[in-house]
Amino acid sequence: MVDVLKKSIWVFHLNSGSCNGCDIEVLDVFTPRPDFERFGVKLVPSPRHADAIALTGPITRAMVPKVVEAIKALPEPKIVLAIGACACGGGIWHDTYVVVGGIDEFYKILKEEYGMDPPTTIYIPGCPAKPEALIYAAGILADIIKQKQRRREDVIREEDEEKRKIETIIREEIGSRHFLPKIIVKRGPKEGSV
Amino acid sequence: MQDIKRVIEENNGKIVVEHDYFLLVEVSREHVRKLARALFEAGAYYSTGVGSDERPRNGFFAMYHILNHEESKKYIVLKVEAPEHDLRIPSITPEIEGANWAEREAHDVLGIVFEGHPEPERLILPDDWPEGVYPLRKDFKYNEKVKPVRKEEKFVEREDALVLPLGPFHPTLHEPEYFEIYVDGETIVGARYKGFFVHRGLEKLAEGRLTIHQIPFVAERICGICGYTHMICYCQAVENAIGLEVPERAEYIRTLLLEIERIHSHILWFGVVYHLLGFDTGFMHAWRIREKVMDIAEMLTGNRKTYGMSLVGGVRRDIDEDKKEKTLKALREVSQEMKKLFNDVLAMKEILNRIEDVGILPKDRARSIGVVGPVARGSGINTDVRKDHPYAAYKYLDFKVPVYNGCDVLSRYLVRADEIFESIYLIEQVLDQMPGGDIMVERFEVPEFSVGVGATEAPRGEDVHFVITHRGSKVYRWRPRAPTYNNLPSVPVMLEGEHLADAPAIIGSIDPCFSCTDHVTIVDDSTGKILFRGPLEDAIRRLKR
Amino acid sequence: MSSMGRLRMLIDSLSHPRVTEKYPYEPIPIPEDFRGKPEIDPEKCIGCAACARVCPPNAITFRDDHEQGYRVLQVFLGRCIFCGRCQDSCPVGAIKLTKEFELVSLSKDDLYQVVKLELAKCIRCGKYTVPYRYIKYLMEKGPKILKYELLLCPECKGEIMTLIKYHYAQEVHE
Repeated sequence: MVDVLKKSIWVFHLNSGSCNGCDIEVLDVFTPRPDFERFGVKLVPSPRHADAIALTGPITRAMVPKVVEAIKALPEPKIVLAIGACACGGGIWHDTYVVVGGIDEFYKILKEEYGMDPPTTIYIPGCPAKPEALIYAAGILADIIKQKQRRREDVIREEDEEKRKIETIIREEIGSRHFLPKIIVKRGPKEGSV
Repeated sequence: MQDIKRVIEENNGKIVVEHDYFLLVEVSREHVRKLARALFEAGAYYSTGVGSDERPRNGFFAMYHILNHEESKKYIVLKVEAPEHDLRIPSITPEIEGANWAEREAHDVLGIVFEGHPEPERLILPDDWPEGVYPLRKDFKYNEKVKPVRKEEKFVEREDALVLPLGPFHPTLHEPEYFEIYVDGETIVGARYKGFFVHRGLEKLAEGRLTIHQIPFVAERICGICGYTHMICYCQAVENAIGLEVPERAEYIRTLLLEIERIHSHILWFGVVYHLLGFDTGFMHAWRIREKVMDIAEMLTGNRKTYGMSLVGGVRRDIDEDKKEKTLKALREVSQEMKKLFNDVLAMKEILNRIEDVGILPKDRARSIGVVGPVARGSGINTDVRKDHPYAAYKYLDFKVPVYNGCDVLSRYLVRADEIFESIYLIEQVLDQMPGGDIMVERFEVPEFSVGVGATEAPRGEDVHFVITHRGSKVYRWRPRAPTYNNLPSVPVMLEGEHLADAPAIIGSIDPCFSCTDHVTIVDDSTGKILFRGPLEDAIRRLKR
Repeated sequence: MSSMGRLRMLIDSLSHPRVTEKYPYEPIPIPEDFRGKPEIDPEKCIGCAACARVCPPNAITFRDDHEQGYRVLQVFLGRCIFCGRCQDSCPVGAIKLTKEFELVSLSKDDLYQVVKLELAKCIRCGKYTVPYRYIKYLMEKGPKILKYELLLCPECKGEIMTLIKYHYAQEVHE
């Protein structure tokens, strides 16, 4: 959870090579129907005035030094909103020759070459991210709502009963062809004649 | 039709493939300039150029120049080849201005040297890309990471002016562009730009990792405003290459979504222009009305912007009666509210004074530069891909193409306003006449190495895609060319002699979409956008104070 | 004259009903076919990995863990483009796009869904092949597949095919 309670965050919009889908949604969230300004959020012209950076786009190589400058200029405590599939994980271009590939790959470069620790990041998936998802993110920061999405892991094991059934059916089939039992004989994992 | 074939044959061109949409013409290096000149004089304009590495096939590199001849309703693709050991092709830029960027780009990514090119400089690759490494050659992997060559970023000093860096992040810029302005007091005396920050390497990605059925999803993400047009254009290019007929119902559904995208894009433009003129009330009203169109799109396709609805051979989802009714109801509301908004705004003298007789683009200049879309129609040129090369269901529908002769920002404004209402009329016809039947062709064969050209009328103008197929469900070469590419060179002409305060509205009037112009760059000036360095600097120097 | 437009605009803006939605205090209406978060139903999944093969951004990946004997299917929502190709290509309808769009999370780890399916062993050499669920599916509904092939790894299958041809040839000869 974010250390400092953040209401009325001021946001600096930064497009690092995006297709503009998420950028239009960032602009759209300030129009009358979604109305981001209810939460005191404002778009500011300089990172020095901002609390958070709204980053869109899979960071292209040409943009890496500029994004670093912008993040350095953000005063502490820093928040980065990674908006859209491209910023969260690189999107559909995560491995091309001119793209860094999402905000986490970018943080590796930030640590190795510039010695900076990654700031608090909020991931907002979507392609493009709905304006309501952005409001949801502001709601989480302001503690109005709780995060819903959690990791899910399921392990499916077969029961021994089932496994035996399968093997029996198959062995019956093998038995029904007269030459197969000679060939399909259990043997060790190394090479050897049947 | 016969004339254009005669022109080609007289100038040593050999017609290899004849299709109802395009002609593939092979020409040798010695004769390409003359043939290009002859075609330009016959009334064709330069659409785009594609370089391709065909060494695995026949040991040569090829350059395809695509020209659009509206009179004969065909695209003419000129193919010139060069062997690897002698990789030089005569440049056709001295004959046709529009070929400038296409040739620079082919040089950047393939290493072809264009002899006689006036400005052979790096265009699209990032600054720290090493020399001599050509990404679109077949021996370069799409995900190969090349070590950066860090260069010192220095300002180029000038004695008579102060250097002012601008960008790539600036409150007025929605997209990253970088600019260095030379100012003498308040006057701009020059500019130096750098762009292509949005180059993401999607052409190489399409050749490398993706199959022919996954590329529509990449095409959709070229631009977040006119993405569906790119998806349809790619599907049409492949369908032309294979010779596939799409079922009628699918054509109607495609038309429906294309028109919805046009409405949303134009209303978005109105909002942005009002904002650039300082009229934020209009911006908020326009985008409030636009929400209704986004709701229709979400109901029909499942997403507000990336519709994801079309694949090669048809569309993915059908539309039922209930959705039809909801669409019509919402569109009627949009139509009423936009009429009210336009009536109110056009009665405000303050707005009219700022856009009337401002940003003039004379008709003959417009033709020689090759502008497309509402910019051309605002200067009196009657050009529209939906009428010139009919595609999808437009051949069965009745609509007008608005053309205004004012050549100023007001004309482009009125063209777009009329187009919104024409689009609503088109959607009503589509929903009324939609036939039954299948929506997708299930199985089809893809022949190897087949060339296809697809074109659509995006909200911003003509959009062209060029495809060469390959075996095994892959694509050999794909080149999307967005409409803003052709419209950008007209901005210096429009800015000539204007006041600096009018610059944002003028540049906004071509509806620039930087991300579309994808591999290309666009550059900006202190408030809006700029393009070519040379002519732009001249234009700015001549700005009256 | 010029003030008429301004006046009309002012009156329209002031008299317009409020359009701001009440989200996040009330939910917003989501249309039926909305393309939201893709979710795998672990009970139905057979581990064929067709979804992983068609996913354009490689948001769904699979790898076979031969140490522990599982096929691990992983869905990374951060990279998902919500195109729906996985839903179209799943033969059993295990992965579906839900109406969920509130996927914001503070850690990348929360954006993953992992499904592990137990791998079967080859009856000839004991190496891991495909998941048991997949074999069951092929036995019940698959195309006319020779059942004795199902519990063999690819190498053993290749050897067996050669030997069968040899045997048939011998028999015909006799």
